[in-house]
Amino acid sequence: MIRKDQTFHFFLLAPLLIILFLFIGLPICQSFFLSFHRDIVGLPNLGNAFVGWVNYSNLLHDPVARHSLLITGVFVGITTFFELLLGLFFALLMHHRFPGRGALRACVLIPWAIPTVVSAQMWRFLFNDAYGMVNYALFGADTTKYIPWLSLPATALLSIVTADIWKTSSFAALLILAGLQVIPEDLYQAARVDGASRWSRFQHITWPLIRPAMLVALLFRTIDAFRVFDLAFVMTQGGPADATNVLQLYGYKKMFVEGWMGYGSAISVCIFIIVLFLAVVYVQMVGRRLLEARV
Amino acid sequence: MRVVLRSILVLGMLCSTGIGIQESRADDPMIITFLTWKPNQPGVWKQLIERFNRENPNIQVRVQVAPHSSTEYHAIISQRLKNKDKSVDVFFMDVIWPPQFANAGWALDLTSRFTPQQRQKFLHGPISANTYGGKIYGVPCYLGAGLFYYRKDLLKKYHFKPPETWSAMLSQGKVIIEAEKNPGLNIYSAQFKQYEGLVCNMLEFIWSNGGSVFDSETGKATLAMPPAEQAVTFVRDHIIGKAAPRGALNYEEPESLDLFIQGKAIFHRNWPYAWAVMNDPKGSRIAGKVGVGPLPAFHGHSSASTLGGWQFGINRYSRHPKQAWQFVKFMTSHETQKFLAINAAVAPTRRSVYHDPDVQKKMPHLEAFLPAFEKARPRPLSPVYPMISQALQRFFSRSIVGEKTNIQEMIQTTSGEIEKLFKLGSMIRK
Repeated sequence: MIRKDQTFHFFLLAPLLIILFLFIGLPICQSFFLSFHRDIVGLPNLGNAFVGWVNYSNLLHDPVARHSLLITGVFVGITTFFELLLGLFFALLMHHRFPGRGALRACVLIPWAIPTVVSAQMWRFLFNDAYGMVNYALFGADTTKYIPWLSLPATALLSIVTADIWKTSSFAALLILAGLQVIPEDLYQAARVDGASRWSRFQHITWPLIRPAMLVALLFRTIDAFRVFDLAFVMTQGGPADATNVLQLYGYKKMFVEGWMGYGSAISVCIFIIVLFLAVVYVQMVGRRLLEARV
Repeated sequence: MRVVLRSILVLGMLCSTGIGIQESRADDPMIITFLTWKPNQPGVWKQLIERFNRENPNIQVRVQVAPHSSTEYHAIISQRLKNKDKSVDVFFMDVIWPPQFANAGWALDLTSRFTPQQRQKFLHGPISANTYGGKIYGVPCYLGAGLFYYRKDLLKKYHFKPPETWSAMLSQGKVIIEAEKNPGLNIYSAQFKQYEGLVCNMLEFIWSNGGSVFDSETGKATLAMPPAEQAVTFVRDHIIGKAAPRGALNYEEPESLDLFIQGKAIFHRNWPYAWAVMNDPKGSRIAGKVGVGPLPAFHGHSSASTLGGWQFGINRYSRHPKQAWQFVKFMTSHETQKFLAINAAVAPTRRSVYHDPDVQKKMPHLEAFLPAFEKARPRPLSPVYPMISQALQRFFSRSIVGEKTNIQEMIQTTSGEIEKLFKLGSMIRK
């Protein structure tokens, strides 16, 4: 009887499993396969010989890739830190009861709902050196002081960092808000009866109880930030002087612009492994926290 | 990234099945598929194809539209040709593709059809861009080249002739800016973002100093020789942040043109399309105040322009090469080029069209473009050009981004990379 049930369940799941395999499993396997071959689109006469670890060892000694990894690391570090900070701030604000709270919640989510390509284009205009609103806001009509944000290596990276923080802080806020809302109100009432101050209520009730939610937000944001592509693609194309050449963009250029299918795949496989590693570490942490919270 | 690959695959499958069904009946006219991107004046091109279909009732040309961006289009067409896709007969090729398509065996060798006598009637630059290993693989449709636009009103006001050297451009510019007392005015506007356009701009500086990037005969990089190094250093020290705003480090064509049509630059480098934009009083503050000619050069050397433009190629796996050639011949005839020059405002590749009275009457500026077109040079001819270009973009952008960049050290690394890539390109598995 149970056996029969299991087969039936499997049949119900089959369509989903097939789709997952076709659209996630296969491409990942293909990337792994390609990364061990020298397959160059523009040079079909070379064939696609198996080259073992050559693509990976080249990647290890590629100064541009190392620079890209560094840039991506800096991007991930800064964006996740500020997104969590702002997310916490917005979540606490939205959790508060006040007139117009519904409207505020909707507004905060707008940046997250806009497709990245569109918001990247918008930020490109905002950071424009000649007519950008950022310059106008800072320097008014004095055009001689205008800063070419996207043309200097340091400020170009800062610009895509800003665009990312603007866009996804609200996503972090949403996750943290969900964590806030499961905290029972009587805990605060009891604390108030005991005469706890606003700060100590936050420190001893809110903070420990939203930590699992913070971790989930951290997990999503780190992984997502690591895969940044569209912001750099639209705003700077990786320039100037590779200052915004994030890993995904570098892999894309190697694969689709230059035609190194094998080498490009090796880059995506590395990104996949790094992200997988991060995910496993975080999920372990989150899992433990959740268990602790339940006990 | 994987999503793109997958959608290309699906697209390819859809296209090939679609065409297969179309061709099943024997008494129908033969169907030729022309792969191109959506042009700016689709109606004009449609008229041409309808005319061809009327004149050749036994052939029907069908148009397949690919993405407008050259890079995206290349990604799709190279995937299809790599898989020996027979569903494309004629394709539009960007000027930097013929060596790759020839080397890969994707483009049909047209040497016997496109004879030397016929080739002589075309401008030299586009013909050499379509030649690889002594054979020709494409017929040029229209061309582009870096042109030098200048504010004719300002030059006249201060009694200057259009500058022939880069240093004359700088000194004229300084005089004009000082006298005009306009702090928002720049001397020069061009494209210095890290992308393909940067290579075009920098090559013009290097070539106009007698330098080059590499020698395709010997396979040796010539980038490290003094002329190239001097030219790159000149751009870093005198153009970026001086003659041109530092913001130009993130300028592609539209941004740099914008500066010029707002009246904020005296000199401007761009492709032929910019002429119509800057003379349109609806969006331009300088309509009618613009002159055009070849780019300046360094003292003692002659001007050079980077060649752009599009060609027709025939798929080597096409089942109807004869009919495909008939279509290409029609599309590159004097009559067609004249029609395109007048109605789509593109620059013809046949010399005779420039001397056609109708063209001269309706498109008088084309004659002013001709000197620059005659000097137009193709970018390094190599099947691995996309890789060479990425290495050059990196080198140029890193060289000009700051005031104290180590050009000499980077030039050595880049030369090594280019030589390695060239060797890879000439490796052929027998």
